[in-house]
Amino acid sequence: MSLSERIENLMMSVQKPVRYMGGEFNAVMKDPERVDVRYAFLFPDTYEVGMSHLGMKILYSAINAREDAWCERVFSPWVDMAELMRRDGIPLFSLESRTPVKYFDMLGITLQYEMSFTNILEALDLAGIPLRSADRREGPFIIVGGPCAFNPEPLAPFVDLVALGDGEEETQQTIDLYRQWKAAGLPREEYLRMAARIPGIYVPSLYEVSYNDDGTIRAVTPRPGSGAPEIVKKALVNDLDSATYPEKLIVPYGEIIHNRIMLEIFRGCTRGCRFCQAGMIYRPIRERSIEHLMQLADNLVSSTGYDEISLMSLSSGDYSCLPELAHQMVERFAAKRVRISLPSQRIDTVLTDTLKETQKVKKTALTLAPEAGTQRLRDVINKGVTEADLIRSVTDAFEQGWSAVKLYFMLGLPTETDEDVLGIADLAQKVRACYFSVPKERRAPGLRITVSASVFVPKNDTPFQWAPQLDYDTVVHRQQLLRQALSRVKGVDFKYHAPDLSYIEAVFARGDRRLAEAMERAWRMGCRFDGWSDQFRYDLWLKAFEEEGLDPDFYALRPRPTDEMFPWDHLDCGVTKAYLLREWEKAQRAECTPDCRKGCTGCGMKRYGACQGR
Amino acid sequence: MRALIRFGKQPRLRFISHLDLQRFFQRAVNRTGLPIAWSQGFNPHPVMSFGSALALGWTSEYEVIDIKLSAPMGRKRTEDAVRAALPEDLPVLEVRMVDDRHTAPMALVRMSDYTVRLEGESASAILGQIPSFMETEVVPAVKKTKSGERTINARPLVLSMEPTGPDSFNARLMLTESQSIKPELLVDLLAGMAGVEAPRVRVHRRMLLGLDAQGNPTPLMAL
Repeated sequence: MSLSERIENLMMSVQKPVRYMGGEFNAVMKDPERVDVRYAFLFPDTYEVGMSHLGMKILYSAINAREDAWCERVFSPWVDMAELMRRDGIPLFSLESRTPVKYFDMLGITLQYEMSFTNILEALDLAGIPLRSADRREGPFIIVGGPCAFNPEPLAPFVDLVALGDGEEETQQTIDLYRQWKAAGLPREEYLRMAARIPGIYVPSLYEVSYNDDGTIRAVTPRPGSGAPEIVKKALVNDLDSATYPEKLIVPYGEIIHNRIMLEIFRGCTRGCRFCQAGMIYRPIRERSIEHLMQLADNLVSSTGYDEISLMSLSSGDYSCLPELAHQMVERFAAKRVRISLPSQRIDTVLTDTLKETQKVKKTALTLAPEAGTQRLRDVINKGVTEADLIRSVTDAFEQGWSAVKLYFMLGLPTETDEDVLGIADLAQKVRACYFSVPKERRAPGLRITVSASVFVPKNDTPFQWAPQLDYDTVVHRQQLLRQALSRVKGVDFKYHAPDLSYIEAVFARGDRRLAEAMERAWRMGCRFDGWSDQFRYDLWLKAFEEEGLDPDFYALRPRPTDEMFPWDHLDCGVTKAYLLREWEKAQRAECTPDCRKGCTGCGMKRYGACQGR
Repeated sequence: MRALIRFGKQPRLRFISHLDLQRFFQRAVNRTGLPIAWSQGFNPHPVMSFGSALALGWTSEYEVIDIKLSAPMGRKRTEDAVRAALPEDLPVLEVRMVDDRHTAPMALVRMSDYTVRLEGESASAILGQIPSFMETEVVPAVKKTKSGERTINARPLVLSMEPTGPDSFNARLMLTESQSIKPELLVDLLAGMAGVEAPRVRVHRRMLLGLDAQGNPTPLMAL
């Protein structure tokens, strides 16, 4: 029986068999005999999550634009499927051709989230690929990229290459180099040494890590003679208008998280929110022109049949000609019944005009992220919005016919007190009052306010990389405090989670190579899909750290002195450590830093010659 | 004007549920570039309907979708546009243009032809029961419905049935709202008669049929 038939035999016995089916419209099929490089792209989570991810779509289309390579998709099989695959000896396979992953030349893996790291070990194991780079004599080279690649150290022994920054060009370079390496018939290690010279490529095995007596890092240095750079600078695509972007998107059969056209209107963010890793590592800001966006949208609407275009970016309200873009989009696509939506709406942008435009086609939910409950704490995190901004935005929205507002906050931000947390309830109360301030005949019925409070995770390459995470008991105390305070505000739905998952996330976000052992141990005990609260096993994680003799508090809860060497200091994310430190110090004085479009804040991006900052 | 489109569902895509296929076609019709008619009302959608739902896991060469157009279109152009909007595993097999008064295919379906393949060792024992099944007048069967279990007589729901090889048979089964039987249930009954365990089956739909003016079974697309 063929592998394909054996896979299909399992599909009647698992949840959501479309996850493993492939054959979607616009999926790329090629003749394996006619390509030189077979590239498997693994999104280490379920199909529904991975298929909603823009970066994967971009790289899939970029690689498949080459005649000499074929990129196929791989997703983490859900636990039911993984169990059956192990039972029947079915290896991890690609969706397009159902080829075992171990027969590919390259395996690209995107690191979107620390809590998907164990899924990578699970995937390698299901694929029959040795977990450790040092043990691999054949099979695909393993390349990781994405936001978590800026601290890949906990994964260091398992991966071959780490791609920092924008993937469009560096991915092509790793493929070009693979062809050269293969044609030359060189040993496996030689590919890694050669790849270390590609801009943005970091090869962990070529670096030596030494530690101080207190367990902190003394130095990370290239191995003598390896030719690897002391500092690896991220790859940068300067001009997004000339960068590759998909003209076709795969249209899934089942429902996925974001089932729509994703149009990236710009990359990077100039706001400088101090908790936000994306706001740092994706600098500088690079916009696509309206003409280019209209053309991309035209192509994508006709090639997919989707009825919604989401204007994506870290802060879409900041697009320099947003009203014009929204207007043109609505005008072009209203007749085709295509809705235009704006995610991650900031509360301080001038909403009204844009909202009116999008509303013509369909109302989308209003989601606002004040992040903190008091002005003092919003200043600490440099979320440059005021209560007056929020009040104006929600009042506008209620007057335009919105009736549902989602408010996102974080608990455990640096310098937070009980008073800041109670400020969240106060804000919710004021939002409610805004709704009732709109005359009954002018507002939509059915007010719904959702308050979501996540637990703050300090991330590498942010001004808060020196900050301790708030300890478990205090987080729980503040959650309860807020829950009680919100119970007195009518019509508010409060969402929060146990802090244990965020704690493990904090450990890995700022972890070092020693954590690899604990990660492997936790995975062997059964940890995978850790980001799914129904799968997450806090007990096993704590056991794994203990057995490995590692103290997770050392990574998550320890205040870090400003002169400490970090495990990721040799990886240059664009902004400098000096800038991050200045921001950390200003945070403690609750001092704001303005949006750098209003004046250069000296983050370090000018070193890349790519920033138009004045 | 409406387009009746017969298409197939190849083995690879047999795990798409009917609901997912409906959603898929909402986007597929947008890709055709054809003048699609949209419903009125609060939540407008393309006006289309299916001949009959296909169960998860089945393949088919006779799925029918009925798409309403807002302007007249030629048959060939419609066929080309629809073909370009579907993946190769949903091949377009036949297109017929009808006017708006044509009865919806869904309302015309009376029966369906299937080929059923039996996997495993028990195939010949099961196929051996076909003659006695067809000679019996009452074959009680427990049918599971949303409201619970109900005992029915399966025999009149089977219009014809004959082996086609060492592990497969063809059957023409009733398919109306009140009278229908799935091939899997039929295999369960045959297996019960043979005293063997029901094997895994692969079901393929060969045709949907209605009745012509004389009451003769007729392929749906020809009605």
